[in-house]
Amino acid sequence: MLGKLDWSAIPIHEPIPLIAAGAVLVIILAVLIWAGVKGYFPYIWHEWITSVDHKRIGVMYVLLAMVMLLRGGIDAIMMRTQLAVAYHSPGIFPPEHYDQIFSAHGTIMIFFVGMPFVIGLMNLVVPLQLGVRDVAFPTLNSVGFWLTATGALLVNISLVVGEFARTGWLAFPPLSELSYSPGVGVDYYAWSLEISGVGTLVAGINLVTTVLKLRTRGMTYLRMPMFCWTTLASNLLIIAAFPILTATLTMLLLDRYLGFHFFTNEGGGNSMMFMNLIWAWGHPEVYILALPAFGIFSEVVPTFSGKPLFGYRSMVLATMAICIISFMVWLHHFFTMGAGPDVNAVFGIASMIIAVPTGVKIYNWLFTMYGGRVRFTTPMMWAVGFMVTFIIGGLTGVLVAVPPADFLLHNSLFLVAHFHNVIIGAVLFGAFAGYTYWFPKAFGFRLHEGWGKASFWFTLTGFYVTFIPLYAAGMLGMTRRMQHYDVAEWRPWMIAAGVGTILMTIGVICQIVQLAVSIRQRDELRDVTGDPWDARSLEWATASPPPVFNFAVLPNVTGEDAYWMIKERARRDNLETREPDYRDIEMPRNSPTGFVCAFFASVMGFALIWHIWWMVALGLAGAFATFVAFAWRDHDEYVIPAQEVARMDRANIAERRAAMNMVETPA
Amino acid sequence: MSEQQVHEFHEHLDLAPGDEEEVRVGPRLVGYLIGLGLSILLTATSFFIAGTDLVWQPSIPVALTVLAIAQMGVHLVFFLHITTGPDNTNNVMALAFGLLIVFLVVGGSIWIMAHMNHNMMQMDQIMPMQH
Amino acid sequence: MTAYGFWIFLLSDIVMFSCFFAAYGVLLGQTAGGPSGAQLFDLKNVAIETGCLLLSSFTCGLASIAADVRNVRWYQLAMAVTGVLGLCFLALEVREFADLVSRGAGPTRSAFLSAFFTLVGCHGLHVSAGILWLLTMMAQVYAKGFRADICRRLLCFALFWHALDIIWVAIFSVVYLLGSAV
Repeated sequence: MLGKLDWSAIPIHEPIPLIAAGAVLVIILAVLIWAGVKGYFPYIWHEWITSVDHKRIGVMYVLLAMVMLLRGGIDAIMMRTQLAVAYHSPGIFPPEHYDQIFSAHGTIMIFFVGMPFVIGLMNLVVPLQLGVRDVAFPTLNSVGFWLTATGALLVNISLVVGEFARTGWLAFPPLSELSYSPGVGVDYYAWSLEISGVGTLVAGINLVTTVLKLRTRGMTYLRMPMFCWTTLASNLLIIAAFPILTATLTMLLLDRYLGFHFFTNEGGGNSMMFMNLIWAWGHPEVYILALPAFGIFSEVVPTFSGKPLFGYRSMVLATMAICIISFMVWLHHFFTMGAGPDVNAVFGIASMIIAVPTGVKIYNWLFTMYGGRVRFTTPMMWAVGFMVTFIIGGLTGVLVAVPPADFLLHNSLFLVAHFHNVIIGAVLFGAFAGYTYWFPKAFGFRLHEGWGKASFWFTLTGFYVTFIPLYAAGMLGMTRRMQHYDVAEWRPWMIAAGVGTILMTIGVICQIVQLAVSIRQRDELRDVTGDPWDARSLEWATASPPPVFNFAVLPNVTGEDAYWMIKERARRDNLETREPDYRDIEMPRNSPTGFVCAFFASVMGFALIWHIWWMVALGLAGAFATFVAFAWRDHDEYVIPAQEVARMDRANIAERRAAMNMVETPA
Repeated sequence: MSEQQVHEFHEHLDLAPGDEEEVRVGPRLVGYLIGLGLSILLTATSFFIAGTDLVWQPSIPVALTVLAIAQMGVHLVFFLHITTGPDNTNNVMALAFGLLIVFLVVGGSIWIMAHMNHNMMQMDQIMPMQH
Repeated sequence: MTAYGFWIFLLSDIVMFSCFFAAYGVLLGQTAGGPSGAQLFDLKNVAIETGCLLLSSFTCGLASIAADVRNVRWYQLAMAVTGVLGLCFLALEVREFADLVSRGAGPTRSAFLSAFFTLVGCHGLHVSAGILWLLTMMAQVYAKGFRADICRRLLCFALFWHALDIIWVAIFSVVYLLGSAV
């Protein structure tokens, strides 16, 4: 009746996951009870869960990412603690448990922290920067978010019911095949990624179509903000790469469920083929994460230097070059697997070439700062921290791109330090910069600067104290994914890394405190005009938070840095403009389609993992019925009358006028 | 101004993929008929070449590939109405990008795996050594 | 705009198929002592399948024209014929698969057969999904006529159906014809 599921799936005899699961359940229950008692459920359902507004969906993506950052971070703390103590000792976590920890850490950080964070920021900001009312497919946007949440849910359920994969975050066969991983762990991993992969693909289609087809009047491609260009490049990569992940995981699942022989040792299967395909996805994936981060810095640096971005066209070229070349380097992840010198040479050279356009970008950011009036606000500090950190990570990357060097460094801690260097330096710092920069736009008040700076310094220092020792340990021969070790030279580096982890944890705690303090002090930190940073692009031309329709009247763009031009003209003409011609605005209706679809996907995913076939059929039928129900609806839009639009816009214009008069007071 | 004009700004310039300029039934019907006819011709030729001894054997894979690509082209032009006009640029660019990725993935995988299989021992030879 | 989004989705689907093609290409020789393609493929059956799918693409085009001139009768007729032809294709394919399995040449026999069944089967699953979609579109037009959003979906359906035939061209050329010739 219930497939493979029975009571033994719950880890009653393992104290650590049991306590962790218990704590999480208590927290979730507490939040639900608090929300219920306060009567928030109708509000949350109508305004957030069923929302098809890109701004709301973007916020929910970022929220998901930040919550999962805590889970992935706790995994990291456990790993670093284990390695600090497991010298001539079994450590705290037995191998069966430790293997699940590092697998979960990688899976969660890439798929449920990195991806949702950048997709959330792109969702929130891009339609505003393009001067339009929403993305191309608002309801599909909701579906994409909720399917991603389903994937995260399944991974977290594995903590309580069953187990997670022990294969690392990419589940290489033959270890991930049924004969060597007979439990449900790899199934949790694979189905979670298959489902959230659909969500990501949907987001990719949405954002590409939005950038290519939905821009306001006058915004040609070469007048788009740089963040929109990196959004285009990153989402083109999503569309091109995620099908590869889907296909490869499908082949692994067919091996596991139906006895196929794609990657098995028997029957002619070829496990090397899995590595080849999964990295054909995996390399573009890291650029999917990094390109939006580069875009965020291209917004932050000009704003806080008070200058337009240096070399806009070369930035565009560099971005599109990275997009294309990122599909030509994937073999550098398995130089040592045996393709031979000819193949290794081609991919090694390509891997070094891809560093060039990235270097162009760094120079452009530096030249943007040069000669500008630089304000070291929190986002700007993340940007400068990124530039230093990412350059080091990129240099070590070029080092391992040399096949002979990689033969020594592959799968050592040197490699681990390299990829954390570039991902944390670019993606995490970029995410925090973007979060701090666009928080006032999303919520109407700024984040507390002091706590933001504290978080930055702890995170930056903590990063170096954690990962530079790992470079050293890697050079001394320590490999990755070690549960215990006996080599004395490695010990001091492991302890140092443990100290660094404490510092990074304090950094994250500072972020949480910053949020709490900012909410407390939101009236002092209020953003009344919609433009707290004196910025350059269109998202700052509307109120904070923007009305549901984004702009009362869609802007007319005549050049790059569209909003800066509007402000210059307004200062010159002292806002002596006629009132705009307000019209009725049609907006898409909210819809439970995304949430309901994801509910059925969760049911299906869980049922597939535990082999409960009748439940799978039920989930499938439910999902199809949801689509048909959505297709059948007659009223998909609602109208906001022109007077309402006018009222909201006049209020914002009044605030802006007041702010300009305060600034413009003659001496 | 605003809403309508934003949409028109793009829709006057771009044709949706799958859509064609021609609105009269007659010429559209002829277009589909030509597509069908050419496809039948190419399919029949492919089947014939695969089965016959009249053609120089080593050229068969190349011939089949060329015929397949030609027929895919016929489908794209006559059924999907992909043209090279300026109103189709986005559609063609997307198609070109997709084809590039397909070529890289399929071609790259086959090239890489051929080298791997040449250099590394077969699994069914390694497995007996485990015992 | 909707059709462009769907066009991009189709391209992503084609990338997914290309992975199955790549796996097929790599595992072509891995018959694990079992039968190869040349010993298994029935080209007559493949020819009939090809004919069904090609004709269904044509009738789908007729349905598109009927929808544009708002002719409900011709639309429903053309869609029904398209659906029937699609079902014929599926029936022939299911029969082929069942036959192979009964001869001990199922997907668990060897890596080559795993790759074959997955590639061709994935296409068959897409055709099945397409038929479900076709029936839904027939029902939608019956219930609500040629409304703007329904016409958008019809355009997307036609794109999907034609793309499936394009993928079939690759399959019958690379898998069946090349497989039999070597």
